[in-house]
Amino acid sequence: MKLKLAFLLATALIAAPHLSVAQEKGGVINVATIGEPPTLDPMVSTADLVGIVTQHIFETLYTFDKGWKVTPLLADSLPQISADGKTYTIKLRTGIKFHDGSDMTSDDVVASLNRWLKLASRGKQVAGFIDKIEAADPATVTISLKQPYAPLVSLLAFNNSAAIIIPSEKQDEPMKEFIGTGPYMLKERKADQYIQLARFTGYKPRSEESSGYGGARHQYLDEIRFVPVPDPNTRVEAAVSGQYDYVDSLPVESFDKVKASTASQPVLLKPFGFPVFVFNTAEGVTKNVAIRKAIRQALSMEDMMAAAFGSKDFYALDGNIYPSNFIWSTDAGVEGAYNVADPEAAATSAKAAGYKGEPIRILTSRQYEFHYKMAQVAAEYLKLAGFTVDLQVVDWATLTQRRTDKGLWDIYISHSPFLPEPALIGSLSTSSPGWWDTPARKASVDAFTSEVDPDKRVALWANVQKAMYDDVPLMKIGDFNAVAAKSTKLEGVDPAPWPYFWNASIKK
Amino acid sequence: MIRYILQRLAGMIVVMFLVVTIVFVIVRVTPGDPAAVMLGPDATLQDVADLRARLGLDQPIILQYVFYIGQLLRGDLGQSIFLNMPVGSALLERAEPTFFLTIFSLAIASVIALPVGIYAAYRRGSFVDQVATTVAMLAASIPSFWLGLILMQFFAVRFNLFPVSGYGGPGSSLMDRLYHLVLPAIALGLVSSALILRFTRASMLDVLGDDYVRTARAKGLAERHVVLRHALKNALIPILTVLGLTAAVLISGAVVTETVFGLPGVGNLVVSAVLRRDYPVIQGALLVIAAIYVFINFAIDMLYLVVDPRVRY
Repeated sequence: MKLKLAFLLATALIAAPHLSVAQEKGGVINVATIGEPPTLDPMVSTADLVGIVTQHIFETLYTFDKGWKVTPLLADSLPQISADGKTYTIKLRTGIKFHDGSDMTSDDVVASLNRWLKLASRGKQVAGFIDKIEAADPATVTISLKQPYAPLVSLLAFNNSAAIIIPSEKQDEPMKEFIGTGPYMLKERKADQYIQLARFTGYKPRSEESSGYGGARHQYLDEIRFVPVPDPNTRVEAAVSGQYDYVDSLPVESFDKVKASTASQPVLLKPFGFPVFVFNTAEGVTKNVAIRKAIRQALSMEDMMAAAFGSKDFYALDGNIYPSNFIWSTDAGVEGAYNVADPEAAATSAKAAGYKGEPIRILTSRQYEFHYKMAQVAAEYLKLAGFTVDLQVVDWATLTQRRTDKGLWDIYISHSPFLPEPALIGSLSTSSPGWWDTPARKASVDAFTSEVDPDKRVALWANVQKAMYDDVPLMKIGDFNAVAAKSTKLEGVDPAPWPYFWNASIKK
Repeated sequence: MIRYILQRLAGMIVVMFLVVTIVFVIVRVTPGDPAAVMLGPDATLQDVADLRARLGLDQPIILQYVFYIGQLLRGDLGQSIFLNMPVGSALLERAEPTFFLTIFSLAIASVIALPVGIYAAYRRGSFVDQVATTVAMLAASIPSFWLGLILMQFFAVRFNLFPVSGYGGPGSSLMDRLYHLVLPAIALGLVSSALILRFTRASMLDVLGDDYVRTARAKGLAERHVVLRHALKNALIPILTVLGLTAAVLISGAVVTETVFGLPGVGNLVVSAVLRRDYPVIQGALLVIAAIYVFINFAIDMLYLVVDPRVRY
């Protein structure tokens, strides 16, 4: 009897936590976003907001798990890669339906990947390496490369400029019908008012446990509504009042206010990304690498991060391009080159480099207030080092256009989330504004992108980072955290750079 | 009279043509590129160039202008680059919140400003007059977005009486949508009331000293009758002008207030379009807004005929 009771008790104890975390089905959530996405076709845009919304509608062959490892999504398993690294055989899951009720086959995948190669920025990055894409059978696709290209699977997994799979007969450009395979389907879009997604009843989740963007995608919610709330102060008030279930991208200074509210709690993604100063290496005064190094020598990354993010709760000083929670983290090249903050020595270096007082044109925007604050601090340090500074504050659209003209700027300020695969970093490309194109870049980047062995790639990335510190095409300023807010009733939402709401539910 | 109306209509066409041309040129020479905005931060120069070509933005500006004028003559405002819909439909979709916001704001402003302005003029120098003019000056100095944030803080966040932002979700009723306009309408109405109050007071002061008012009083008419029938009727012209211009400003989009409250109105549309460089939307919206201004000015001139029989064109 005692044994029986003990068994029952043990069973109850094992079952109890499981029951307590069981998520309830049903409900609608409202998600406040920073604005209206410029498009709902995630192939044609690299904007984060496009990825955040459309990742619920469309799916890719692969995605990333919570450790940022590539994991299959519409593919059945990771690809079989031939010994020479040039042929990828991709087995597809069967029984996958599009939102229009049709079945996904290899023909849809081939058509979609060809569209991706033609239209998407990241697809075009791959296109030069592709020999052909073929359907071997209705559930198998082979990709043949001209030469090995290791970032291929990561690029196929990324959620912006994304290699989404859409029906072969619905490949229009611009996209007319938004038909994907995702857990939620587009019900209605009223621009600047809401984007309404409804549960797709024909969805077939993966059988593995949920992990990051990978594994099972559960559809607890009936609907997800993305509502643009462009004003950051309004987003803070909306979070405090509890009007929205999730509020994206809050100013860091609102953290305590949200924490004190009863309706919502802050969500801290630590670390989220890094601000970056990109140099014009093609023309003008910063074409001279010695001057770029002198500028870096003058700057205090610590003061810039403090001015931009206030408390150390929201930033960290880190010269490594990737922080320690990524396998790519390395300190190669960092020592003596990060956060030097020595304007006097920088003045000597600049003089030795032949600097003659030409204005350093820093292009920045107040669209992201922290860019502007960092620019102000940088300008003061550079003046101390004897540089003439021309701080050009423009709106974001102007900045994105001006930076494409080699004759208009010397430094532009931007930021990026930590991307799961370093090859996704735009500045590694010679055509990206900044136009970094040196023998050291070519040797290190080519070796990194053509190596398929994951362990060797980690070591090769260290060489790329060292080349970045030696050639100074850009300066990483530090790591910063992102603040969002979620309703106290919302469950199953983990901090993520591109927040997702499959697996989310409402506590009733 | 008919000749005057025809002259005005011809003038309106010239104004609209100038607006179309100036806006077209300004939009094209302003830095920024819709293709770069749509493609996002990691797009290459070649991607941007490809998209510009697909959008027809690589054509010489004069060709783009001729094409645009041809489109307008066919009654087509063009297709939004970002919204995936015709500009006309986008404007129509945004008309509802802006229209109701204008009506409510004007109603609030008028209910406050007209009686207080009339009374302040009638009791010139009194305590009420001094308080009214001081408060009006204060209200005129307050930016509507700041007042909006304060109202939001109290009535939406602290007391949870109104939504912080938005214009209702899918399937929301008209009442629900109008409910979202209460705070922004109060913010705009209070700020607009200051200007209307000052004009009303000044205009009434002008007429209250006139001979016919003295005559009316000498005839033994009740003060109420003198002020509201005789004086107010003659003071209405400048008041109507300021009411009309306020309406035009509000209809063309209370840009900041709509942005702060996340209202999908005309002002919000214009701001988003400018930030994204959605050329067809900027051009179409400014054309419609200019048309509204021109029409309201015309309508005010016609109203003068009604309120003042001495006016002849």
